[in-house]
Formats: sequence, structure tokens, C-alpha cells
Amino acid sequence: MASPISIASLTKTYPGGSVPALKAVSLDVAPGTFLVLLGPSGSGKTTLLRCLAGIERIDSGSVGIGGRIAADGRAHVPPEQRDLSMVFQDYALWPHLTALDNVAFALRRRRLGRAECRARAALMLERVGLADFARRYPNELSGGQQQRVALARALIADTGLILCDEPLSNLDADLRERMRVEISSLVREAGATTVYITHDQAEAFALADHIGVLEEGVLVQAGTPEEVYNHPATPFVARFTGLAGELRVRVTAHGGDGTLEVVAADGAAGRLPALRPAGAAPGSAAAAPGPDGADEGRTLRPGDGAVLAIRPTGVFLAHAEADERHLSGRVADVAFRGRGYEYAIDLPGLGRLTGVFARHRANRGDEVGLRLDPEGCHLFPADIAPSADTASPTVPALTA
Amino acid sequence: MIARVTPGGATPRDPPAHGGAARPPIPPWGRRGASRFSPVGLGRLAARLGMPVFWLILLAFIVLPCACFLLLAISPRLFDQGSQWFTLTYLRQSLTGSTAVAIVNSLWVSSAAAVIGLAVGFPVAWLAARTTMPGRRWVSGGMWLALLLPSWLPALGWERLVEQDGVMYRLGLNWPWATHLIMGPFGVVLLLGLRCVPFSYLAISAALNGLGQEFEDAARVHGASRWQALRLIVPILAPAIMSALAIGFAESISDFGVAATLAYNSNFTLATYALYAAIGNFPPSFPLAAGMSWLLVAAVAVPLFLQARALRGRSYAILSGRTRQAVRRRLTRFEAVAAGSGLALFFLIMLGIPAFGAVSGSLLGDYGSSYTLTLVNYQALFEQSGLIGPLERSLLYGLIAATVTVFLGFIAARLLSSARRTKSTGVMDYVLLASVALPGVVFGAGYIFAYNLPIMSTLHIDLYQTVQLLIIAYIASSLPTNARVLVGSVSQIQGSLRDAARAHGAGAVSAWARGVLPVLSRPIMMAWLYTFCGVFLELPLSQLLYAPGSPPASIAIEDNLSNYHFGVGMAQAVLAVFIAFSVVAIVLGGYRLLAPAGWRRIGGTVRG
Repeated sequence: MASPISIASLTKTYPGGSVPALKAVSLDVAPGTFLVLLGPSGSGKTTLLRCLAGIERIDSGSVGIGGRIAADGRAHVPPEQRDLSMVFQDYALWPHLTALDNVAFALRRRRLGRAECRARAALMLERVGLADFARRYPNELSGGQQQRVALARALIADTGLILCDEPLSNLDADLRERMRVEISSLVREAGATTVYITHDQAEAFALADHIGVLEEGVLVQAGTPEEVYNHPATPFVARFTGLAGELRVRVTAHGGDGTLEVVAADGAAGRLPALRPAGAAPGSAAAAPGPDGADEGRTLRPGDGAVLAIRPTGVFLAHAEADERHLSGRVADVAFRGRGYEYAIDLPGLGRLTGVFARHRANRGDEVGLRLDPEGCHLFPADIAPSADTASPTVPALTA
Repeated sequence: MIARVTPGGATPRDPPAHGGAARPPIPPWGRRGASRFSPVGLGRLAARLGMPVFWLILLAFIVLPCACFLLLAISPRLFDQGSQWFTLTYLRQSLTGSTAVAIVNSLWVSSAAAVIGLAVGFPVAWLAARTTMPGRRWVSGGMWLALLLPSWLPALGWERLVEQDGVMYRLGLNWPWATHLIMGPFGVVLLLGLRCVPFSYLAISAALNGLGQEFEDAARVHGASRWQALRLIVPILAPAIMSALAIGFAESISDFGVAATLAYNSNFTLATYALYAAIGNFPPSFPLAAGMSWLLVAAVAVPLFLQARALRGRSYAILSGRTRQAVRRRLTRFEAVAAGSGLALFFLIMLGIPAFGAVSGSLLGDYGSSYTLTLVNYQALFEQSGLIGPLERSLLYGLIAATVTVFLGFIAARLLSSARRTKSTGVMDYVLLASVALPGVVFGAGYIFAYNLPIMSTLHIDLYQTVQLLIIAYIASSLPTNARVLVGSVSQIQGSLRDAARAHGAGAVSAWARGVLPVLSRPIMMAWLYTFCGVFLELPLSQLLYAPGSPPASIAIEDNLSNYHFGVGMAQAVLAVFIAFSVVAIVLGGYRLLAPAGWRRIGGTVRG
């Protein structure tokens, strides 16, 4: 039966470390949810997973699994008593055991007979397509096969919680895509609650029911993939989930329906569309969220400096002369992507936008016009987006 | 054919479009500048001659002496040592009577020592690598210290402590049970077992360092308790465990230091001493000694072979780029006290007590029952002629032998790790591997026999009973181990390191010195130190081959002790150890002070 997870004010500092790896993280996960924890290296996602597993002890706060307290700063339920399973980044298959024995090991806690364990392990291996590889040792399996054995080991004991520690990071791009689909379907078939960590935002959006974004030990946003993508709580979340670029802008006036009129900071660009501040729902006040993603964000007013975070889905190459042009620039680079072209556009005095999609071809050096879609643009107060001084994205942008 | 496309469609050989004279074609690489005396030419010459010269050295100083000696056991007529062209008499003879007893003693003692070595070395390695045991940072240094000491030194320390009229009795401790316990099989097993501990420790530590935390974590999250997780991952250390057992057994059965001191004085004969006695007693029986050598070589080779065979085809690969560093378990106060005390007790028994025996023995007068400390023995070392000379001699032998051995060992390692592996390098690999299994006493006996053959005089090779032969024997016996140790480091060197330096303008020598030497400097230094310490206080070869009138340190110490000059002998031993460790300190300190920072970073380990 799937286990709910309840994490409250979890704080963890490693011995000898001066900076907490996790700072007061709170999170509730409904049973059967596929939660993806997303964040860059050092953001604390692996620590959070290991605290859930019981491999790491927490300093304060509490972790509840399946309605029972697993750790609360004083008590610590050891990993073997938490009734969970885990897929490790390097798979951690015991090299002296066959694939079958590796999988069967996870059933020992169910106190079944040896023959029963092996029979079930064989069935599980068949389910992951490795029936013919049961007697092979890990070193005799390919990376993808090892990954599947690790997955079978995690699934076989039918635990309420499955933890996955970047299980696809060691695979090549093609295999990663195939294994992603397998993990998604097999884990959902099992019905367990799953916590999966990755630093790959495409993988996160593809797998998750819910996403939690971590930055320097703080859970800055949690929500559905759509919420996180369409309404990033902070500039960091916007950058980490894929931007074409950022522009420094200035608020000039209030528009209708909670929107704001903005112009590029240097005033050189054309007229930008009316934009809604990030986190503000249509019709609400023009308030932007604070750095922790909380609702107490302050209001943007005319005259304020702001940062416009532009998703790849929020900017297009103007095709016809009739198209409205919000910005103009020069093609710095063009890449053919099969269904169209992806451009890097230099905006004079404003920086560069990348991942700008168009179906038609323009050549390097061509002057082009750009059209912004307000739905793909997020406006943040300049003082909570300190690093947004260029139009370069922090991570590779999601393609449109 | 692949067409090369250049701008404008011209091929590289086309004359220039403006009609000027075509540039002369560039000569092919390799011909230009490769004159006979250029660095490239010399390098090629060295590469061509390297293998034959190296084989000559191997044949003359390792293969032939040992092969002749071993062959003697089954064909004494071949060497004018009997009438039979082929016989198994001497092999049978070595399996009867006192030699059979000695071999059986060696077998069971070595097995027990290997097990003791593992039983102590494994937990010590585990506690040092995986827990917050107090003193864990000192364990590695202590183990290396024990490894650098020849086995006969602690044996003499213990002996001097517990023997009749030894330090123990002169301190007023009248404990005959301790004398009987140490001066007998128990003491021999204990000392050889302790000798095995550093080998087990190093083998297990190396494996533990590569064993990331995730195997244990994976077991825990899939339902295994801490104890069950430990049981699950111990088999992953199987290669290290088998290595520890095989090396411990091989080291113990080929040991001569304990056999010639504590065991001999306890009337407990071991095979290596019986072999020595077969040559040293009158009349000497070389064929019988050769027969025993077969058994000794087999006893060493079989476990090493079985270990290699057991691991063949199985992978215990645990290292990966993302191996998670293991977390040290914080010991409770009681556990920490227990572990720390156990560690202290171990080092006390292994190093402290024999050191106390040796130092106190050197500070007591040779006779009488009073316990009066005196420096008279040390004074004698510097005042009486012939007492300090052996130490100076051994120091010189050690410096020469270590330098030449490391040089040859490096060449061997280069040849063995070459990407173009030929039959010749394959055979060389086997020869060197097999030579590792040759006990020193067999080596020495082979040298005595081979360089005493009449044909040597005919060829005007009169090396028998010369200092040169002793130094050659030191080098030849150290070379196989040295080459095997260095081959690991050399084979890790990527050719691209040298190629990158060459491509960026460095010459052959400069490219090697700047691109390769820094990476190998630490292993080369450690190999040099290990060889130096081994040679400086070496016993079996010295015993069999030293030139009359020029005894090395170990022989002089033995002579003094066997002639009841206990104080002086112990003072010599203490001074010898001091000299050895001074050299180690100077070399390590010099490396730390003088080597560029980048050299020191490579191969350095960070320990928590």
C-alpha cells in the first residue's frame, strides 16, 4: 500500500560542515504520488532522499512515512525498518550476487522461503525483460540491464515507498529515454509513492506528478509540473526549469487585469506587451513572490526595476511583416532541429536569447524581429533576481 | 579513397594558382632528424636493445641460478653431483625424516599465521577505515613501520626479553611459562601471524577504500540490519581476503628470519632453516636442498595460483566515478575505548614489546643479574673495530641495490605494461611472477650452487663469495616484487600524457620528465624505500652469500648474539633500525620539502 510522506521543518548539517545541507524543509506527499525533487548539484536533493531512506540522520524537524514518525531529531528508525526500497545512482548491485540473487535479496524482509523468493525474483526479472539474464553477474550486464535489475530489486518487495537517486544519470541519451518510460510505467503499476531526484528538468517534467525544486537546501517551490513551469515562484526556479533568457526591464504603468506596462531597461527595444508579475493570477494584484516562493512577495509599482524571465515558449521569431515585433536583434546562431529551427538572437544592449524557435530559416547575421507571448514571460522584481544581468539562460532551455 | 577537400576545390598537391614554384614536399615523419645520435635515434636504439638486455639480466641472475638449482634435485648428474640423469630420490628424501617434520611444521605454522594475520588485520582495517576509532590516523604508519622491519628483529627482541637470563628474568620477573610459551610453536605462530597483519591490513584497506557506502546502504534500505548488511558486503571483499591469506601464507612459509632465530633457538625447525642447514651442515647436500626447494616453491606458488584461479572470470569491480565515500560510524564511548585499547594492545605486542626487548637488551650488560642501565654497548660500537663497519656496509649495499632495482624494475614495468604485448613480454611476466614465489633462501642456495659451478671459472666469472654477487643477489631477489609493484602504477599512465607534452613542443626526455615522472614519483620513491629497507637488514641471502670478512649488518648482529654478546648485538640492531628509519625519514621529508607541489598531490590520499 502506498505510503504518504510528511516532512516538517527538516534541517540537516553534515558533521564538519558549516552550511546546512537542508534548511527547514517541509513537504507533504499524498500516497501514490510520483514526486520529483529537482535541483542543481549541492542543492540538498540527495540529502533529502537519504534522510527519507534513513541513511542520514536528521538534526531537527521530523520525517513521517506511512503515518508513522521515522525520524524526529531524537528518534531514528533505521533504514531496514522503514519498509521502503531504493534505486541507487550507481545501482549498487552487489557484484558477487547474480541478477536473480540481487533481486531476491530485497524479499528477505518478507520472511518468505528461499525458493519462493527466487521464484518471485525470476518473475520480476521477466517483468523487466531480463528473464534470460537471471544467472548473470552485474559485470556481465549492460548499463541498461543493470539499471533494470536495480529497478526490479526496488519493485519486488512491494514497499509503500520507492526512492530513486538519479537512476538515469549514467545512461546514454537514447537508453535514458527508454528507461524513463519503463520506470514511469512500472512504478505507477506498483502503485507506490515514489520520490525521484534529478537535476535534469526535462526528465523531471516528463516523470512527475509533483515537482519540488530545491535551492541551497531550501525547498523553493512545490507543485504540479504545469504550476512550476507556468508559474515559477522565484527567478531561480524559472532559470532552472528552462529560460531562453532574461531582460532587465522597468515598470512604466499599471495595465488592465493586474498586468503591468514595461519597457526594456535601456529603452532601446520596441514596445513590450503588458505582463502579469510572476505568481499573480489573472485579475489579482500585481504582486511578485518573495525569494522563498512565499506569497508575501512585494508589489511591483511604476518606476520599479524588474527582470523579465522569458521561456523558450514565450518568444518567437516574427515571420511576416505583419507580425507584431516586441524586440529586434541579429541571428547569432541557428540550429536545425528537424521540425524547425532554434535560434540564438543577440539583442543589442540587452544580451542574448537562446532556444528561440521558428519554423522558417533565417541566416546568421540576419536582422530579425521577435514577438513575446505574455504566457511564457515571468516578471520578477529586480532585487530578488540578482544574477539576471544578462539574457543568457542558467540551464539549457526546454525546447518549445 | 577519401578525397580531401580544400577551399576552392584544390588538392594539397596542386601547384599554387598564381603560378609560383611549388613548395618542396614535406618529408614523411620519422625519417627527418632521426639520426643515429639524436634523442629519437637513441630512444629507438634503447627500445631495440632494451628487451634483449633485460632478458639477459633475467636469465643470468634470476632464471638460470634458480633453474639450475631446482633441476639439480631431479638430475644431479647434469651438474656432476651424482650418478643419475633423472631421479626423484631427493624429492622423496625431503619428504621423510626431519625435513618432512620441518615442512609439515612450516605448512601448519604458515596457515595459522595467515589466518591470524587476517583475523587481526581485517577488523583493524575495518575500524580504521569505517569508524571513528581513536588513533586510526596512526594505523597506516604503524603498519608500514612493521612492514619495513625484517622479521628477525622482532623475533630477537622477543627472544631477548623472555629467554633464560633475558631482560624479563633480570627485571625479577621469574616467569618460565612465558619463556616456554614464546620460545616454542606458539611464539613462532604469534610472530609470523603478527608479521602477516600488515599485509592483510593493506590488502583489506585498499579494498575498503574502494568499497563505497552504497552497497551497505542498498542492503539497509532493502531490509538488512547492520549486521546482515556487513555479512552481505564482506564477500565483495573476497579478492582482498584471498590475497591477504595467500600473501600471508607465502610470506610465512618463505620466511627465514623467524626460522633462523626464535624457531631455531626453540628447537622448532621450519623448512627454510632445514634447507639452509642442508647446505650449511657438513657434508652439504645440494640435491637434498634442491628437493626441499621444490616443495617450498610449490607451497608458495600453489596458494597464489589458486587465488588467481578462484578470481578468474569473476568481477568484483566496485570502483566507479561516482562511488560515494563511506561514512565513518561514530563509535560509542565504550566502543571507542575498546577499539582504541585493542589497537594499542596490538601495536604493543607487535612493535612495543620487541622494541622494549631490543632496547633494554642493548642497555644491559651482557652478564650478571643486576638491572643496571648502561651505554657501554653503544660506546663499544663506536670504539671497537669491526662493529660499526657492517652497518656502514649494509647502508651502502642498500643504497646501491635499491637504486639499481628500482631502475630495472621501472624498465620491466614499462615492458610489461606496453600496449604492444608480445610473447616475450608475456613470458617475462610469468618469469617475474614465478620469481616472486621464490623464497630468499632458495634464491641464495641457487646462487651458491650456480656461481660455484666449474663452468663459471672456465668462463672467468668468479663471483662466488664476492660482495658483487651479494649485491646482485639482493637486486635480483628484489626485482620481481619491485617490477610487479611498479607495473600497477606504470600501466595507469596514459600514453596521452607523454604525447600531449610532445605535441606541445617538449622533447622525448623532457616529455617523459614533465609528463610522466611526476605521476610516478611517489610509487618510485615508495618502491625505493621498500627495497632499501628490505636489503639493509636482509638475512637469508646475506647468510648464504656474504663475502668472508665483510659481513653485512644482519650477519654481524646474528654473530654477536650467537656468541653471547647480547648487549652489543642488540645495540647494533637498535642502531640499524635507527639508520633505516632515518633514511626513510630523510627521503620522505626530502620529497615533501623538495618535490613540486603538483607531484605531491598526485597519488596522495586524503583520509578522514
